[in-house]
Amino acid sequence: MRNILGYIVFLILFAFSHTINSHHAFTAEFDANAPINITGKVVKVEWINPHAWVHVEVQIESKTTIWMIEGGTPNTLIRNGLTKNSIKPGTLINVRGYQSKGKLCLPRCIANGRDITFPDGRKVFMGSSGTGAPRDGSDPKER
Amino acid sequence: MLDFAFWLSETEWSIALHESLYLYPWIESTHVLSICLFFGTLLFVDLRLTDKVFNNLSISEMNRKVLPLTVFGFLVMSVTGLLLFYAIPVRNYQNIFFRIKMILIVVAGINAFFFHRRMSKEALVWDKDSSIPRSMKNSAITSLVLWSLVIISGRMIAYNWFDCDRQPQPRWINELTSCEVDYSLFEGIDGF
Repeated sequence: MRNILGYIVFLILFAFSHTINSHHAFTAEFDANAPINITGKVVKVEWINPHAWVHVEVQIESKTTIWMIEGGTPNTLIRNGLTKNSIKPGTLINVRGYQSKGKLCLPRCIANGRDITFPDGRKVFMGSSGTGAPRDGSDPKER
Repeated sequence: MLDFAFWLSETEWSIALHESLYLYPWIESTHVLSICLFFGTLLFVDLRLTDKVFNNLSISEMNRKVLPLTVFGFLVMSVTGLLLFYAIPVRNYQNIFFRIKMILIVVAGINAFFFHRRMSKEALVWDKDSSIPRSMKNSAITSLVLWSLVIISGRMIAYNWFDCDRQPQPRWINELTSCEVDYSLFEGIDGF
């Protein structure tokens, strides 16, 4: 009886072990099958725990869309080489990532950012590993 | 209230907290650990009162040994919780799970108040004739259920499922979360 109970507890813990190491699971909010690749100007940076948000204004023909890109914590971003001052409003960036499950973009589009590329070609990983996000090779620490 | 949350979010220390590299994660971890201490010890006190387990220890003995730890856990948990709210006031205030959690805490608090008032008066009597009133047993189980729900809803705050940024959402949800939404954007979308 005690063994069976232990086994059940183990199974439950095992089932949740994937979500324990992350703040919130990638799959709860984002769509791994909806990769995005956008280029635009930074309009606002929310340098906040537990996730920073970079707002990017994307202009395609005459249509302007604001994208809210979720990044890691300020701590992980700084470790990756991204500071509050390196993505000041007005900076032109290219972002690759994955769109949220809801895709109506009301009032803004939401996405999980994987990496940012600056006009000089510098590429910085901006996501968090181990959140269940697709392993697409953009995280240099990923094994 | 929303104005107050916006004002809080602009204060110097709130910005320092949510921009911090180490302090925020430290507070967050301390919050979780103190929840473990609080709930872990509460489990002993409440389970003893159901009269099903730990019967070799009298109720007053159990309380004397364990309750100080529960109170300590509660204090650390409350302080770190307040700091976490202070770091991100607007988003927390507009988060539906945060609101559910606050209501549950108030209910759990009321339960705990009456529970402890009665226990402090009668625990010695129950020690002697080992007869815990039915209502106390119910109160102990209610306490465990409520605090479990508090922890679950606290965990859910991390998810943005009903956040104001995610539209379109049903009006009643936006009203429950005090979201300010421009409904004219929704025209022509199915269901709105």
